[in-house]
Amino acid sequence: MDDRPHKAHRPAQSGSKAEKKDKGKGKEKQKGFNEKAFAPKSGRRADKQGRRNAERDQTRLHVPLVNRTPDDEPPPVIVAIVGPPGVGKTTLLKSLVRRYAKQTLNDVKGPVTVVSGKKRRLTFIECNNDLNSMIDIGKIADLVLLMIDGSFGFEMETFEFLNILQSHGFPKVIGILTHLDLIKKAATLRDTKKALKKRFWTEIYQGAKLFYLSGVLNGRYPDTEIMNLSRFISVMKFRPLVFRNAHSYLLADRLEDLTPRELVRTSKGKCDRTVTVYGYVRGTNLRMGTRVHIPGVGDLDMKSVTVLGDPCPMPDADSEKRRKLSEKKKLIIHAPMSDVGGVMYDKDAVWVNVPGSFTRGNADVPQGEGEQMVMDLQDVGSTLEDTVAKSQIRLLGTSSKNLTVPDEDDVDMDNEEDDDLDLESQDGSDFEDDDSGIGSDAGDVEEDDDEGRPQDPRNTGRSIHRSGTRTLPSSSKKQRGDVEYAESDSDLGDDDSDLDIGGRRVRFGEEDDDHDVPSDEEDEDEESEDGDDETVPRWKKNLADRAQSSLKSQSRRKDWTKLIYATSLTPSQILQGEEQEEGSGSKEDGMDGDDDFFQIKRSADNDQDEVLDRSKEALSAEELKKWEDEEMLESIRHLFITGDDSAGGVVDEESGAFGGDDGGDDFEGDDEEEGGDAPSDPEAARAAALAAKKEALKRKFDEQYDDPESSKMDFYEEKKDEMARQLALNRAEFAGIDAEARALVEGYRPGQYVRIELADVPCELIENFDPSYPVVVGGLLPAEERFGFVQVRIKRHRWYARTLKNNDPLILSLGWRRFQTVPIYSLDDHSIRMRMLKYTPEHMHCYATFYGPVSLPNTGFCAFNSLSGETPGFRVSATGVVLNIDRSVKIVKKIKLTGVPYKIYKNTAFVKDMFNSALEVVKFEGANIRSVSGIRGQIKKAMPKPDGAFRATFEDKVLKSDIIFLRAWYSVQPRKFYNPVTSLLLSDKAHWTGMRLTGQVRRDEGLKTPLNVNSTYKPIIRAPRRFNPLVVPKKLQAALPYASKPKLMAPQRGQTYLQKRAVVMEPEEKKAVALLQQIRALRKDQVSRRKEKKDEKKAERKKKLAKEDALKGEKEKEKRKEYMRVAGQKSKRAAEIEEGGGRSKRRKT
Amino acid sequence: MSSLLHFSGHQHLRHRLVLSILSGKHVRIDKIRSDDKNPGLRDFEISLLRLLEKVTNGTVIEISVTGTAILLKPGIISGGAITHDCPLSRSIGYFLEPIVMLAPFSKTPFQLTLRGITTDENDLSVDIYRTVTLPHLQLFGLSDGLELRIKKRGAPPEGGGEIQFLCPIAKQVKTLNFVEPGKIKRIRGVAHAVRVNPQFSNRMIESSRSVLNRYIPDIYLYSDVYKGDESGRSPGYALSLLAESTTSAIHCSEAISKPGVAPEDIGLEAARALMAEVNLGGCVDRKHQILVLLMMVLGSEDVGRCLMAEPTTRTIQFLRDVKQFFGTSFKIVPAEAGSSQLLYSCYGTGYVNANRTLA
Repeated sequence: MDDRPHKAHRPAQSGSKAEKKDKGKGKEKQKGFNEKAFAPKSGRRADKQGRRNAERDQTRLHVPLVNRTPDDEPPPVIVAIVGPPGVGKTTLLKSLVRRYAKQTLNDVKGPVTVVSGKKRRLTFIECNNDLNSMIDIGKIADLVLLMIDGSFGFEMETFEFLNILQSHGFPKVIGILTHLDLIKKAATLRDTKKALKKRFWTEIYQGAKLFYLSGVLNGRYPDTEIMNLSRFISVMKFRPLVFRNAHSYLLADRLEDLTPRELVRTSKGKCDRTVTVYGYVRGTNLRMGTRVHIPGVGDLDMKSVTVLGDPCPMPDADSEKRRKLSEKKKLIIHAPMSDVGGVMYDKDAVWVNVPGSFTRGNADVPQGEGEQMVMDLQDVGSTLEDTVAKSQIRLLGTSSKNLTVPDEDDVDMDNEEDDDLDLESQDGSDFEDDDSGIGSDAGDVEEDDDEGRPQDPRNTGRSIHRSGTRTLPSSSKKQRGDVEYAESDSDLGDDDSDLDIGGRRVRFGEEDDDHDVPSDEEDEDEESEDGDDETVPRWKKNLADRAQSSLKSQSRRKDWTKLIYATSLTPSQILQGEEQEEGSGSKEDGMDGDDDFFQIKRSADNDQDEVLDRSKEALSAEELKKWEDEEMLESIRHLFITGDDSAGGVVDEESGAFGGDDGGDDFEGDDEEEGGDAPSDPEAARAAALAAKKEALKRKFDEQYDDPESSKMDFYEEKKDEMARQLALNRAEFAGIDAEARALVEGYRPGQYVRIELADVPCELIENFDPSYPVVVGGLLPAEERFGFVQVRIKRHRWYARTLKNNDPLILSLGWRRFQTVPIYSLDDHSIRMRMLKYTPEHMHCYATFYGPVSLPNTGFCAFNSLSGETPGFRVSATGVVLNIDRSVKIVKKIKLTGVPYKIYKNTAFVKDMFNSALEVVKFEGANIRSVSGIRGQIKKAMPKPDGAFRATFEDKVLKSDIIFLRAWYSVQPRKFYNPVTSLLLSDKAHWTGMRLTGQVRRDEGLKTPLNVNSTYKPIIRAPRRFNPLVVPKKLQAALPYASKPKLMAPQRGQTYLQKRAVVMEPEEKKAVALLQQIRALRKDQVSRRKEKKDEKKAERKKKLAKEDALKGEKEKEKRKEYMRVAGQKSKRAAEIEEGGGRSKRRKT
Repeated sequence: MSSLLHFSGHQHLRHRLVLSILSGKHVRIDKIRSDDKNPGLRDFEISLLRLLEKVTNGTVIEISVTGTAILLKPGIISGGAITHDCPLSRSIGYFLEPIVMLAPFSKTPFQLTLRGITTDENDLSVDIYRTVTLPHLQLFGLSDGLELRIKKRGAPPEGGGEIQFLCPIAKQVKTLNFVEPGKIKRIRGVAHAVRVNPQFSNRMIESSRSVLNRYIPDIYLYSDVYKGDESGRSPGYALSLLAESTTSAIHCSEAISKPGVAPEDIGLEAARALMAEVNLGGCVDRKHQILVLLMMVLGSEDVGRCLMAEPTTRTIQFLRDVKQFFGTSFKIVPAEAGSSQLLYSCYGTGYVNANRTLA
């Protein structure tokens, strides 16, 4: 949908608006533009403004990133709708689908793809409230519609989801507030909006887009609001995220089980399944030979990948000319798991929804696709076996001639192969050990049978019928191509072999001069097994003369790609120009070996020369001899800068002349040259070359003369330019070759709709499949398949309530994977050692090391202690980034060995109880030890007598009571524990349980903690220490200076003079003293009386207060009662609704 | 697809081991000289395995009792300061070739000291490594701190040479787009003569100049002098030449002393071999095809292109092995109709140095 107005705005010429405008205009005119208004007043200010502008300009720039997704046909943008239950996610999804596809979905499950514009498709996916789903969605969503219940506020899940997004690369987020109609008061609504917006902005960024959706109309949101939202979605620009730019991935929109039914039946459904998943390739190119990871399932091998016709195609060229998306294109919707058009794909069945009553033969009623399918099935008169016997198979719906099985000898080998295949697949035996292409085709046939559409030639993953306007890019032809020898006809770059679309039948007719090299040994063996009734394969018959003729015709032109990759010739044979003849000869040699039991080994001496694995090839004597010739030496003069131009090729010369100095666009120039190589006339060519040279020189001069600065690009521009050039080269290099060969070389490009066949998938995935849980297929890099010790920088989330304990299991979401592992936390101790921590530090990063699948350094992750929805509080327990990958770790923890001295000399002490044997002591000879009081020392030598005792020296005399300790470091290894979160395999997907803590296990099992009696805490009884008095020898005392002499004075025994003297007072004195005594007595009495009174008053007040409190309590009780009554009613109602499948419990932030 | 790959034969052992370590796939090589009178691994191959074990962490190498089969479970490339004594059956070049391929992807920068024979007729001499191989690595964005020091020279059979190889680590190698061979603008060379008359190197230089002087004047052939202890234990002399083009494409050749051959003939041989190499054309020397192709495979997920001469037998086998290890196949087409030069293009795997530590 184009947003631009179709007609230019015409301002009103008359009326009130025009008048208003006129008035405004007049004012403006009157004043005119004032230049001074925006001029800075001072130089300093101007400087400031300039700087600010420059700074703001810089914020616009981002590190240039290559976008691996092609611009011409990108995969649909994944729009994830996330929010707590009951917030209106499904309603929004239905509204948006209705907006784009004009269809109402009743039961939305799985991804829904629609066409939203001429260059954009959207895949909507709803995320349920399970944390596992949120993690998976967060890793693949390009745009998140984060739904928030306006009447309730933010919920914990919302914040958890935002944290998950942050650690896996932040996609674009649009907030959507719903349930705003529940807020009745306008002022409250305004305040709520403001508060929520503020909170949202702090979480995302200032100015993040927040949408408001008012009430629901007809089960949908108001059309105008949805229209506005869709406009925002359509103009959204996406920046490539680093992780997704390095991995290919796929959101499966359909899943099929291809396991033979018989096998499933015999194993009672417990066998490993072969499963196909369908979806658009995203991220980077998907290559065969790599493994994929399905979060919640595990690592899987891709058996085959097939490109299918796009089920939700972008508007094609003719509609491109129009400005708007045509109405017809709007109707395209691809949602195989939902009930589009009344057809629903279950895991192994197709359900057709028929409205009302349905009778056959009622032709006037228009039938849906599903009904048509069922009726077609009913119409079938003969079994498939009969049909095959009659061979009335048409390859394409449009092909006029039927496929026949002639009995003559000169059958096309290919044709026969095909028939074999059909028969086999019909027999029910799986054809999996075959060439992958064939296997996949067999699978397709089978699958179509399942769906009851045996004749459907288009292998689209789409479920609804579309009008036949779109010309499918011959997917069925591609299919046929797969049946061919995938290796043998890799037409990579051989320009002479015709790529006739007519197919292989034409090609085989003229194969004689085509020089098609048969495939390698396995194919051949299998061939001979398959067709053992026929005598000699046709291609073997006149091999020799064919080879000769091709040699003659091609005159030693080799197709290197084919020779290297598609033949079994040895390297030296390829170089010597030998053909397949020799190759087959040597092969027969090998076959002889099978016949004869013993065979004589070839003597080793004949290949004595090549025994040596040498990197320098010896030049042969005649090769060197050649260069003695003067003429020969002259002939390469043109390869030197001094050489003249005439000798060599013109093109060579030209490129040498100026290809080097402007290295930037050399390949463009090269392309031009290749393109413009056509003129055969050397004169013309030279003239053209000269002209080109002149042109280049002129351009260069102009550039330098006019403005030397302008020709220089800044770093940013340069980088972007470079990237654009590389992308152009990527597109151009393999543009010409056919699809299969291209897929071999560069893999499956993003935007292609593919079907991936996965081998050995656990049967639980199929049995417990639930389309509301997303199935993400993430491609793994070769490095990520390995296991090792991963060192990460980790920080406990500040909202997570507890600290994280060393060696406690932790669930990590790292890369594509979710797994439980046991980390060891550590900190760098002065860059000397990695020291183990018992707990993660508060508000600080630390290191964690765990065993698990490696991820590239700089990959972010988030960690959880539990994924279950019942966990109270915030579940994201930590976040961090991968630092290092290794196969061994060196983390140490401190250990203190203690001992006690048993004999002490001056500075020497004999220590026991630290070690158990002399051998241990020897290991620690020279180690530093210390006493508790801080006296440092060294271990000297082991003593023979008490085992493990040793002699040590100290810097001072240690006490017998001192404890001697030795500080050492003990290395700890993380436990090799890796437990993938296989949530998709469970029937109850939200309740995955991993390894539990010991305490949890005991609690669950009702076990008591075993109690070691020796470990119980007892009160420490310390006998009071008695110290002997300090005795200074008399001699020493005499020698000491007076100040240092011990003061040896006995305490006074008798009373002092002051104590024992008698006091006799004068009469005046006596009076005065008596008076003072009386005054004191009076005062005392007064104070005591006052106090009494005060206490009385206090008691009275207390009584009063108690009375008041009682009254208040009464009232409070009443109030509480009322509230509880209301709350009880409310909860009762909620429970009722829940029983009816309504809203579930919520956790308030 | 299992991650264990099978190969047989002792040929191409080096690049298979390298590919295994880089891709992380386990590899099993059997029938190593199983038909030989003296079956199993040779001493230099054992030594190579030991060296690889030294430069990596967590590598498991299992050799069968007869020595005719090995199983390699690669670990990570750790690098660092390593010293290795090479046996006298092969020169240092044999051991340096895989190391040069691995070194950019290690955890810590390589400081490798190798002792042994510095020049022999089977492998590239250390001079070629210094002057030609390292510039080839520079094409892929590895330049700072890339160095090869020849501490001592050691001629066969007694050796006694010593080199030090320093290599920085890369996060990712650049995508190569090298299709302009350019024209040769300068020729350089190093001649050395140890434990023989020092005049020998001048004689080699003179004779090779007699061939090369006709093309360009910019020819500098150095005579590298090593005396006393630095000159190894055996007498020998050699000349290595390189021709550099305007687009810094380098072609090289070398010739080493043989008993009974005059130094002049050695000089001529080197010069003629250089002419033969130049005549083949392309942007990359034949001896370095494997290195360049490997780095192209390991490049970012873009199309890399390189113009080269026809592949050697080693290159062909290497291309096949790369397909098994990395799943990458090359598109090889003639550069233009009727020319013998081939344009190799491939889609890089986007290999990122996972061993690198984030500060």
